[in-house]
Amino acid sequence: MKRTLRMLAAVLMGLTFAGTAGAQGAAAPQTQKAPPDYSAFPCLSYTQPCGKVATRPPVSKALDGPLNGNAEKGKQLAQARNRGNCLACHVIPGGSQPGTRGLDLSHFGSSGRSDAEAYAMVWDMRTINPETLMPPFGTNEILNEQELRDVVAYLLSFR
Amino acid sequence: MHDRKRTPALTAMALALCALAAGNVLGEQPYRERYPDAKIDPAKGVEGDVGFSDTIQYWRTEADLERNAGLADKPAEQWKLNWKHMDLDRIDLHPGHLAVDEGAALVKKLAARDPAFLTCLGEGSAEIKGKAAAYPKFDVALGRILTVEGRIEQCAKSVLGEDLPQGKPPNTKISVYFKSLSAGVPTKVDIGNTKVMEAYRRGEQSFYVRTGQLNMACASCHVPGSIMGHKLRGETPTTPFGDTAHYPTYRTPVGALESLQERFARCHNQMRTQPLKPGDPAYTDLEVFMTVLTNGYPISVPSAR
Ligand code: HEC
Ligand code: HEC
Repeated sequence: MKRTLRMLAAVLMGLTFAGTAGAQGAAAPQTQKAPPDYSAFPCLSYTQPCGKVATRPPVSKALDGPLNGNAEKGKQLAQARNRGNCLACHVIPGGSQPGTRGLDLSHFGSSGRSDAEAYAMVWDMRTINPETLMPPFGTNEILNEQELRDVVAYLLSFR
Repeated sequence: MHDRKRTPALTAMALALCALAAGNVLGEQPYRERYPDAKIDPAKGVEGDVGFSDTIQYWRTEADLERNAGLADKPAEQWKLNWKHMDLDRIDLHPGHLAVDEGAALVKKLAARDPAFLTCLGEGSAEIKGKAAAYPKFDVALGRILTVEGRIEQCAKSVLGEDLPQGKPPNTKISVYFKSLSAGVPTKVDIGNTKVMEAYRRGEQSFYVRTGQLNMACASCHVPGSIMGHKLRGETPTTPFGDTAHYPTYRTPVGALESLQERFARCHNQMRTQPLKPGDPAYTDLEVFMTVLTNGYPISVPSAR
């Protein structure tokens, strides 16, 4: 045990220096980005305006016209950490490091859900389960209308 | 409500809003969704994890950690160690130790300018050993709750007129040094103090309220039945019990120190919630809540994660 601890310490020391170099790299202007602004949504502040923003109530969204989603684009959106990130909670085909809390969606296309049902779920799962952990992708504008259709087309392609 | 000319629809809306507000614990709060309350008993301190995540059996003592060290190699079970196995590493090569030395040097330098800096940290005595374990606490003279970092900021300002903002390296280094002088001392936030308990209750509210674009609460990831214990891509959220004992910590992946409130901000970014500045009153209340959930567990600073 002590031996592995010593080795670990050595590794940690090595990383300190790697970390320092990384920090310098991050200070370079081309990699600097303004932090994202989420102040349109509720926050914990006692004084800032976002502290007074209310939760957006659940929305039952009816699918307008045919789905017309692009499954290929949907795949990108579902896997990207900064977009749908469905993979954070769900197992989806071909995704690496899937999450384990949501359901396995690998055969969702065979579950008998219509386009409209699947669309409404991703738009706002709270309409089905008020205490869901799943973010309301449509209501909170995490995905826009077309992106949401793309993701649903992708989901429904899993047989 | 006395305006007779108001349209019925508007009156109905106003009434509905009043009803909503009245139904809320804090009358002036906007409508917010919440994660169901896990009913934590503050009096139990860290032992509240029994019947909660029940992982404390693996990390309660060093002997428990040694006995369950094998869990660290099991991806699906590693989270049960609450990362406390990292605390067994107490040898001098540990990078967090550098911060202790740097923090000690900073205190020495500041106390050389005015010895009152040290007696301010020690609340009337130059001896600061063991004192960090009682934070956050209510300071009667100041009339507010102070964390260790808040005390450092306040002493630097009041004694030396110097700004040592919370969450910035000089403050965090001094905090590491200050807390290292309480290493092994059980966390003991005074829950008998009314002001402390008021802060605890506000922090508790914050823990369960859903925020941000993803509409999640801290509890969405850190209580049983939530995402806790489940893979969230590469990570697995753990129990909130015992966490504050090893903060501020040295973050190996980025090679930098991180204070507890900077960690709150990092979770907030993950939740796509507007993060607050370290030292913000809402974060201080959240720190009170989380530190009460560590009561009884020994301080383990310096640490690395
Ligand atoms: C934070 C975790 C989380 C994320 C992120 C998430 N989900 Fe979910 N999802 C869940 C949970 C949990 C359920 C189970 C139902 C419930 O609890 O409401 C679920 C259920 C579903 C269902 C219903 C499955 C069924 O057969 O009933 C679909 C469809 C779905 N999610 C699609 C998605 C898509 C598409 C994304 C990404 C755009 C996504 N989810 C992102 C947690 C998540
Ligand atoms: C989307 C899931 C998620 C949410 C929501 C979340 N966290 Fe975390 N949190 C994590 C993960 C993952 C970790 C790293 C693993 C661990 O130690 O739990 C973590 C770690 C932490 C740690 C450090 C634990 C340690 O042992 O070092 C603290 C403290 C913490 N979270 C507090 C909070 C607070 C307070 C909130 C609400 C403001 C919050 N978290 C919301 C996922 C989340």
